[in-house]
Amino acid sequence: MLQVINLTKTYPNGTQALKQVSFEVQDGEFLAVIGLSGSGKSTLLRCINRLIEPTSGQVRWDGVDVTAASGRDLRNIRRQIGMVFQQFNLVKRSPVITNVLSGRLGYTSPWRSLFNSFSKEDRARALDNLEQLGLQDKAYVRADSLSGGQQQRVGIARALMQEPKLVLADEPVASLDPVLAHTILKYLEQMNRERGITVLCSLHFLDLVHRYATRAIALKDGEVVFEGLPHEIDDAQFKAIYGQEAERVSIV
Amino acid sequence: MTASAHFPTPSFKRKLPALLSLVFPGAGQVYLRKRWRGIAILVMMVVLVFLIQWAFDNFKVGLWDFGPFTTSWLWVALSGFWAWNVFDAYRLAQGRSASRWLAFLLPLIIIYVIAWQVTDVKLDRLVTRFSDAQIVFRAIANPDLLERDKAAQIGQTTFWVPCSSPPQPLPTLAEPYQLRTDVACGDVGEAITLRGQGLIPGMTGNIYWYLEPDGTREGQVREGGQAVEITIKADGTFETTFAIPKIAGLDGVDPANPLLQAIQVRFIQEVGPLHLSATFGDIIGRTVEGVFIPGQIFATLALGLLATIFSTLLAVPLSFFAAHNVMERVPGGTAIYYVMRTILNVVRAVDTIVWGLLVIVWVGLGNLAGLIALTIHSTAALAKLFSEEVEHIDHGPIEALTATGANLLQVIRYGIVPQIYSPFLAYTLLRWDINMRSATVVGFVAGGGIGFFVVETIRKGGYREYAAALWAIAVVIILVDWISGKWRQRIAEGDTKMVLLRPKPWYKSLRKLIYTFLLLAIFVGCLSILQIDLRKLFDPSPSFGKLLGDFVTFDLSREVLDTVLKQMLITVFQALIATTFGALVAIPFSFLAARNLMSRTWLSRGIYYVVRSIFNVLRSIEALLYVAIFVFWVGIGAFAGALALTITTFALIGKLFSEAIENIDAGPLEAITATGATRLQAIVYGILPQIVPPFVSYAIYQWDINIRISTIIGFAGGGGIGLLLSTFFGQLQYHKAGTAVLLIVLVIVAMDFASAQIRQKLV
Ligand SMILES: Nc1ncnc2c1ncn2[C@@H]1O[C@H](COP(=O)(O)OP(=O)(O)O)[C@@H](O)[C@H]1O
Ligand SMILES: [Mg+2]
Repeated sequence: MLQVINLTKTYPNGTQALKQVSFEVQDGEFLAVIGLSGSGKSTLLRCINRLIEPTSGQVRWDGVDVTAASGRDLRNIRRQIGMVFQQFNLVKRSPVITNVLSGRLGYTSPWRSLFNSFSKEDRARALDNLEQLGLQDKAYVRADSLSGGQQQRVGIARALMQEPKLVLADEPVASLDPVLAHTILKYLEQMNRERGITVLCSLHFLDLVHRYATRAIALKDGEVVFEGLPHEIDDAQFKAIYGQEAERVSIV
Repeated sequence: MTASAHFPTPSFKRKLPALLSLVFPGAGQVYLRKRWRGIAILVMMVVLVFLIQWAFDNFKVGLWDFGPFTTSWLWVALSGFWAWNVFDAYRLAQGRSASRWLAFLLPLIIIYVIAWQVTDVKLDRLVTRFSDAQIVFRAIANPDLLERDKAAQIGQTTFWVPCSSPPQPLPTLAEPYQLRTDVACGDVGEAITLRGQGLIPGMTGNIYWYLEPDGTREGQVREGGQAVEITIKADGTFETTFAIPKIAGLDGVDPANPLLQAIQVRFIQEVGPLHLSATFGDIIGRTVEGVFIPGQIFATLALGLLATIFSTLLAVPLSFFAAHNVMERVPGGTAIYYVMRTILNVVRAVDTIVWGLLVIVWVGLGNLAGLIALTIHSTAALAKLFSEEVEHIDHGPIEALTATGANLLQVIRYGIVPQIYSPFLAYTLLRWDINMRSATVVGFVAGGGIGFFVVETIRKGGYREYAAALWAIAVVIILVDWISGKWRQRIAEGDTKMVLLRPKPWYKSLRKLIYTFLLLAIFVGCLSILQIDLRKLFDPSPSFGKLLGDFVTFDLSREVLDTVLKQMLITVFQALIATTFGALVAIPFSFLAARNLMSRTWLSRGIYYVVRSIFNVLRSIEALLYVAIFVFWVGIGAFAGALALTITTFALIGKLFSEAIENIDAGPLEAITATGATRLQAIVYGILPQIVPPFVSYAIYQWDINIRISTIIGFAGGGGIGLLLSTFFGQLQYHKAGTAVLLIVLVIVAMDFASAQIRQKLV
């Protein structure tokens, strides 16, 4: 179980990106985080695995205080939490397989990994994951020769290599075509259902939230303005989250 | 009725800007909100006033002698520019502007007149002294690489200087004698006849005079400046008459005490098959008792390679300190970033050769000094290029890897190294090429490598040895250039192509292993060729500290500043002249070296390859190495240096120009022809706009490069600040040398900046 308690983040330039954010995520949930751009979604997800240091508040993961961990302990927590990025964040010049295997680094002895040496099981698992994502024939291709949707699938494969119990996905489909968005979210859904991985996913489009999320929270100016089931977001709620001028649009 | 009649502009308001510009050049333009135009006019004005006055004071440039007073006619040209500036302001006030042509033309005339005289350009010498140059050209066509064994025949007889009374009798010689004179004694300047017999026919030789029959003091017998030459006739005899040379009287001419001296004839003939010469052994290498001893060219290769390896190793960490995106994350990093950038720019601005002068104070002459000088300059240049690459690192993968729980080392290995590896390798290969070129000349001051060998041969007047060195350098540099270029091309292709990286078969990793060993072997080989004693590094000569102290306490006294500034300006003008000459000559040739124009017939293709090859060969040799030819041809001085620079400029610019021509887009030409324009119109409107901006841009870039090279061209007799610098260093006047280096850095950094700005505007 993930607990976020009174999380606050103030950037050095004074921007208050998160204000006393608190919520809980039960194991096996698919929680959508929605909100306008600039509302603090990325900051929130990055504070959970401490890519960004929160200013105050607490993050507890299975009872362990993430905010207090450091060094090796922190890395051990991080390796149980996969992350998927809007810009995919692959090493473009490296082959796909290396990108996927790098999800295993937290488990590999540093000296061994320096020589690009991964265990047989890890390699087999990497190929296996790629196969499940329909990329078995792309394993030895340079990452930047793939299309956007394929790159995001590599990003998911990398997260899967961590054998995570939780996956943080920061607008994983915002850089993709609508059709591809469904493909990617279906993979996340499949992970969530079949492997029981908890998913925390920030999304832009409400109908994607309706279609995939089991629960949703909404941020506005760094504050939680809604917490509940996706279909509970009615027009009034919608205007409160997205502003008066916003209109509902749907994607295919 | 015109609009102006209803809204009359007060004529004063229209004239005000012109008035302002009359009083203060550029002021009117600034007043009319053309701020940059005004500032440019003012700066140009100030620079020209200074240059005209300076050139007149130092070189009497543009002298007009009116008896009671003298002045420079360049002031008239400057007044023209001033008048233009007033006119321009007047026109601007009316919403138009004056022709830019005049604005460029007048300053250009002034600058070129000054440059011409300051550089001491004497084109006539190229013709009148061509016969001198022919000696060098003949040597270049016939380098000392192969030779035959020499067979020698030597005959000797004695002679008394002067005659006593009664005169000494001829020595009685047993038949058959080889040599005898017609008289037994004589005074300096008297004619004697020398006869020989019983010699091998056909050989030619010279006569030598010995002060003592067995002594070492000898002189060649010359007549009218030329050595007296004798040829043995078919019957084995010869006869020649010559005046007794001055050397015979060196120990005094006293009839009471005549001295017995000796006359020798030496006949030398080349016999047997051609074989590698001794010079070949010095340059390339020789085998002694089955062991190959590498020559200077291998030492040069080793210098270039080691300098590249060491500078890469040093530049990689340094580049992170000079990268903005890295340093802004570290507390106090921004300050470190600026300091680091400044240091790199300053170190880069000082040429390798000048670094050599500093380093020899530390470790003494030799390969180590050359290596350190090369490494210092190369490290700064590479670190700058690397840091720009580091600034382009994508932060995304680093974030992603951190999120997987990887530690710092792993993040570097998987997130950063793959991003920078191939650009770094490409820059290193480029630098290897440059370092190899510098390695051929670093020996001029630091010792080591082929540069040192060249200096020695020039000093001895051994032009065939010099020529042999030039050819060897050309071959090696062209080879290095080719390898480095091909390799970089492959890296670039690998970056854009979708390469399929299959898992490596076992022999691939074996190959990697072999490469690694090979690299290690080459590294160790280089160290052993250069016989570097690293202990010297930690054992600087005792005066080093004091000299370094002198060096950084610049001598800013008036006279030193004047001298240094004078030589620096000569250097800048010398570079300007060389760039102009080189570019002008290069223009016609660049058309011949453009593939798209020359691919029609086999003849034009042939010309294309010939011109290309000329560019490549000339380009492979550093300007410093050419200076010797021109010193011999037109005499020591800035003009010789300018001509040497002209050669390299011609080759470099010719190549760049021809590439610009190859990139011409035929579309506009077609479109303009379609409008019914004549061929000339089509060229003027369709092609010129496409090639003039790149040509000008390349020429400015080349001027920038040439100023750097100009600063060192004086080390070989090419005039300018290099000569001054080597004098200061030679006389251990380090505080003055410091001033010179300081000015060089300032000028080069400023030129760098200015040329980049101008080029950016052009394209
Ligand atoms: N590194 C940073 N420094 C300062 N302000 C930042 C930084 N990153 C984000 N912010 C600000 O924090 C707020 C929340 O940003 P973010 O978490 O990226 O929102 P979202 O992901 O919902 O678009 C925004 O106002 C943004 O401008
Ligand atoms: Mg965001």
